[in-house]
Amino acid sequence: MIAAFSRFDLHRWRLVMVGGAIIGAILICAIFAPAVAPYSPFDLDVASMLQGPSGAHPLGTDELGRDVLSRTIYAAQISMKVAFIAAGVGLVFGTLIGVVAAYFGGWVDLVLMRFMELLFSFPAILLAVVLMASLGTSIFNAMIAIGIVFIPGFSRLARAATEVVLREQYVEAARAVGMSHGRIIFREILPNILAPLLVEAAVAFSYAILLESALSFLGLGAQPPDPSWGNMLSTGRGFMSQAPWLSIVPGMAIFLSVLGFNFIGDGLRDVLDPHLRD
Amino acid sequence: MVRLIATRLVAFTLTLFASSVVLFVTINVLPGSAAKSALGMEATPQAIARFEAQRGLDRPMVVQYGEWFLKTMRGDFGVSFQNSVPVGPELLSRIPVTLELATLAFLVANIIALPLGIAAASRHQKRLDKSLTLTATILGAVPNFWLATLLIMLFSLNLRWLPPGGFTPFTLDPVTNLKQMVMPALSLGLVSSALLIRIMRSSMIEVLSSDYIRTANAKGASERTVIRRHALRNSLIPYLNVAAVEFGFLFGSAVVIEDIFRLPGVGSLVLVGIINRDYPVLLAAALAITLFVLVVNLIVDLAVGLLDPRLVKGSRA
Repeated sequence: MIAAFSRFDLHRWRLVMVGGAIIGAILICAIFAPAVAPYSPFDLDVASMLQGPSGAHPLGTDELGRDVLSRTIYAAQISMKVAFIAAGVGLVFGTLIGVVAAYFGGWVDLVLMRFMELLFSFPAILLAVVLMASLGTSIFNAMIAIGIVFIPGFSRLARAATEVVLREQYVEAARAVGMSHGRIIFREILPNILAPLLVEAAVAFSYAILLESALSFLGLGAQPPDPSWGNMLSTGRGFMSQAPWLSIVPGMAIFLSVLGFNFIGDGLRDVLDPHLRD
Repeated sequence: MVRLIATRLVAFTLTLFASSVVLFVTINVLPGSAAKSALGMEATPQAIARFEAQRGLDRPMVVQYGEWFLKTMRGDFGVSFQNSVPVGPELLSRIPVTLELATLAFLVANIIALPLGIAAASRHQKRLDKSLTLTATILGAVPNFWLATLLIMLFSLNLRWLPPGGFTPFTLDPVTNLKQMVMPALSLGLVSSALLIRIMRSSMIEVLSSDYIRTANAKGASERTVIRRHALRNSLIPYLNVAAVEFGFLFGSAVVIEDIFRLPGVGSLVLVGIINRDYPVLLAAALAITLFVLVVNLIVDLAVGLLDPRLVKGSRA
């Protein structure tokens, strides 16, 4: 993996760079939203409601006269936060479960991985919707629900990668010198299974954005007046003929951020493991 | 083969049972009170206690689950907390809608993915392959609920070719039914085809680089013959496995798409159950979707066994 990073080849890294540029731009908008957005996302202006794109409002206004560009920029905060935290929850817990299952084997492996397979058998959106119903509708709960949805995928991957690493001599040597289980897992195994997990994390980011948007679209994620691309799109559906930009703009934002993360994921996979490309 | 079927059936039954436990436990820790939702926010504590006692909600969860499980096994899904109507008939009336939606969407996805995936693989690393791969990546990033909205704006509001929603059973009026299902099926199917194109492509590339295909090529067989006679069957095995997962994904996505197109399917019943805090409705609808997914996975497991005799031999060993 280190070798892959050390040989910087523009051609091989171009997908990562294109994806990185898209996500970088969205991240900058999200982090510096108060400076980038021309208006507050909550500023009502009944006199200029449902106005088309203009100099004052480049992406038009919504049904309450709020600036769509500003709301789209602020909504990036929610989507990015959800993407990073949900993928983080999935990555951390999924990896730990997968590594522990492979490392200890036996009944630990059997119980943990059967439970993971069980969670995997639910369609992701159904599991997320049911979990949201159970946890309550809020953006924090959306992060947890989406994170739980990702755990089985990461655990499978981590388990498979750990099984390969466990056969390596340096792990046997670590055992032979009496290193503790914790040290072997954190010092010897985890650094060597990072490559496939990184690729999976990029895919998880994009899927988290899709899931969060879907939950907010259904009214189960971010709650109005907080702007999220999903709830903006949902509101826009009521004004499709008068104000199509209300549906087009937030959808385009979701599309671009998912595309950006997918490019990063595909690019990383090509760079880290060229065999996987085909 | 008998052993393969028996093993898969046992695994299916155990998974279904475990799924029902997970769903029951998850749904029964819902924070919003079902009583308040059914009786209104002004309900007195006495009325709430009476409501919960009448429906057995005050008993331990294990007892509740046991009773629900036994009833469900007999086809009794309980009654709705909202209107005291039996859930079973309501669920049954909605299953054909979701089945039709998922099946049509699956057809759309495969009709697109199979030829494009094969075409990309047969022109590996050429311009066609690169443009098809890029198209699949772009298509895969489109949220299906956004695509649904765009399709409504184009075909319903601007061109006025298709109705923006609603459902007429196929048996009642096939033409209207298909007109109503075109956009929902396209919204789900087009997005799903993105992944399937990539899977078909990579699976076919792997098969095309194997020795027996090189032999067939060396013997002078045409490209079409090599793909049809020799490569397709083997490349379909990994494809089928992913397609099955994708079919399950389509059932899950019905929750969103049915809401957009006002289709009275199982997916929209999940939302009804959540909004009304109607546990029996939510549980029955979520279990039905899970059952669909597990049945599809079972069928594909068996189909893969039939396609690849090595797996059947492996299961005997």
